[in-house]
Amino acid sequence: MKRNELQNNLAMTVVLISAAMLFVTLFMGYAVYRSSADVWPPVGVAKVSLWLPFLSTIFISISSWYCYQVRLSVAKNDISAAKSQLWLTTVLGLAFMLAQSGLWFFMKSSGVFVTSGIFASVMYGFTWIHAVHVVLGLFALGYLRWVLRTPSPYILQKTINVEKFWHFLGVVWVVMFIGLFVF
Amino acid sequence: MSGGYNEIHPEPTTFWSKYIISFDHKVIAKQFLWYGIAFLGIGGLMALLIRWTLAYPGEAFPVIGHLLFPNSAGIVPPDSYAMLFTMHGTIMIFYAITPILIGAFGNYCIPLMIGARDMAFPMLNMLSFWFAFLSGLVLLASLFLPLGAAAGGWTSYPTLSTMIGSPGAGQTLWCVAIFLFGVSSTMGAVNYVTTVITLRAPGMGYFDMPLTVWGLWLTAILNAIFVPVLGAGVILLTLDRVMGTTFFLAGASATSGSGDPVLFQHVFWIFGHPEVYILILPAWGIVSDLLSFFSRKPAFGAKATALSMTAVSVLSTIVYGHHMFTTQMSPLLTQSFMTLTMTISIPSAIFFANWLGTIWKGSIRFDSPMLFSLGVVFVFGLGGLTGLHLGTVTTDLYLHDTYFVVGHFHYTMAASVLLGGYAGIYFWFPKMFGRMMNETMAKIHFWGTMIPLNGIFFGMLMVGYGGMHRRIYNPFVYDSLKRLMPINEMITISAILMGLFQIIFVINFLWSLYKGKKAVNNPWNVGTLEWTIPSPPVHHNYDVIPVVKCGPHEFGNPNLKNGRDFQYQTEELVQGPA
Repeated sequence: MKRNELQNNLAMTVVLISAAMLFVTLFMGYAVYRSSADVWPPVGVAKVSLWLPFLSTIFISISSWYCYQVRLSVAKNDISAAKSQLWLTTVLGLAFMLAQSGLWFFMKSSGVFVTSGIFASVMYGFTWIHAVHVVLGLFALGYLRWVLRTPSPYILQKTINVEKFWHFLGVVWVVMFIGLFVF
Repeated sequence: MSGGYNEIHPEPTTFWSKYIISFDHKVIAKQFLWYGIAFLGIGGLMALLIRWTLAYPGEAFPVIGHLLFPNSAGIVPPDSYAMLFTMHGTIMIFYAITPILIGAFGNYCIPLMIGARDMAFPMLNMLSFWFAFLSGLVLLASLFLPLGAAAGGWTSYPTLSTMIGSPGAGQTLWCVAIFLFGVSSTMGAVNYVTTVITLRAPGMGYFDMPLTVWGLWLTAILNAIFVPVLGAGVILLTLDRVMGTTFFLAGASATSGSGDPVLFQHVFWIFGHPEVYILILPAWGIVSDLLSFFSRKPAFGAKATALSMTAVSVLSTIVYGHHMFTTQMSPLLTQSFMTLTMTISIPSAIFFANWLGTIWKGSIRFDSPMLFSLGVVFVFGLGGLTGLHLGTVTTDLYLHDTYFVVGHFHYTMAASVLLGGYAGIYFWFPKMFGRMMNETMAKIHFWGTMIPLNGIFFGMLMVGYGGMHRRIYNPFVYDSLKRLMPINEMITISAILMGLFQIIFVINFLWSLYKGKKAVNNPWNVGTLEWTIPSPPVHHNYDVIPVVKCGPHEFGNPNLKNGRDFQYQTEELVQGPA
């Protein structure tokens, strides 16, 4: 492995470990709330409909798949295809954000306000924190779009880094979807 | 894997690119050093204000009291007292020790000591400093808010730190500042970990690295893993304060389920205990090297020292519960955490014994870096021993939240790290600035620090053992604590003396910058890589990347014939006649 690749892979691994620790802490807190609650959601609070979170899961999963395709295209030096796939990745990422906004709007209109207690705190707080990371990921996708404009020996490495971060966000969301919304 | 990708970056030409947004690890190290020293002064002044209040309650703070507290005739008021100890702890830990030990020494030493031209990611390095700078500004800004800065202690336990306990924006800015500092630390950690793994000079195996680099590297690993845990905690705390969530609010809404204030304590200490080692590992590394350098002997059991530091780092991640013995934790858990805590004594004892083994029968040179290093051995020994009382459930239940705890963690985190930091500054100053610091002033500084320092922290152990609780504005309203007033006066006088002796350091530092004797390439006669190049080094450090052929502590080899008692790491180990 070339030195530059090794450095990038290592650095990205450390970044992902750090980001993962942040979410692990959140999930640990959630486990405490869930295990110490008599019933979940608490009495008087309705479970959030799966419809919008499921839609978000679909969007981010397909987006992740297209991001993977971007890397394959870049590896084959097919920059034109990579650009199209990157465009689809980004649009699906934006669709995810739209679905999340819909989820927050839906929760609010159903009477689940941010201040409504620990259930609402978890639902809003965790999805907000994840969404902020997705916004950072969207900026990273925008940066990759800019990188793809000019040929450089580092394009593939940069694509791999952005791809890893985007997949990471997808994985975190799936865990969140299963942990927070399904069970 | 070592050697390799080590580009020479173009030398910056403008003031802006050279000193402000510099990518050069040496400049960034100096930025962190100035930053840390400035905050050390602010945090130190806060300590004096706290100490004055405890020794002379109800009396105006001398000289600047009326300026700082005009509404209370120069007396520190109770709410400001809470703010002072909160900000003192926060500033000293995050904004003084971290920038000096990790930011300054990490940036300066890692590339130079492993034979690299810069960090793996110079731009990220620059951003790391400016995030820290922004964080410092936010924290300082909170001091000027109408309701003042954070006042819930450096641990910021809810409910003290929620809007119920801390109204006003001070605590919120504290959270924002800590989060920004966490981002800065994580950026630094990414760089340090990657640099050590990929940019070591050809021939430099992990055990050929100086122990300073080992300490900094382990610190970076712990930082990368555990700082985000605190990050998650302060984000949730901020949401509680700003958005009205109830993560850490108990009983806020009985029907919809309430949060859990104790959960924050878990989150805080999952980060907080490794943080102790994050702060002290660089000092351990520095001291391990300096004891060898100034004893003119190879570091005794250097590999064991490195592995012990690694073992401590690993164990530090699973002992945090000893900070929470009094939170109605299950006895099974308290005993488990106690046992795990005690196991840390084993690797700690190994490298402590190695320190003693290193200086045993050495040709000790009592230069200022060595004096400060020996100081670390003494104070860390005391700090470690007093930790046993707090790691043991039965004694901790009585000592918890007393000044014994304050004395203990100051011995380990403050005294050891401060002395280790000074050792490093005196040692690398010639390399950093190309001039020597005044040795006589340095020695006066050492004794003027070491003696009062023990007066302060041993005094704290005594009053704590005597039952004095921490964080009480005026303990002497309680009859049982009145007898401790003379010891408190002694502690405060020691603190004032120690503060005054730091002026000698500042004068020496500033004077030596401009008027100090010109430093030669290797004034201490040691063999690590940074001493093979000019003082101060050129922009790209090494014209040719060095090839490492021996370890960093090659002293006193009887086969040496060149009049030196040490070997550079770039030299083949001299062998005796076959």
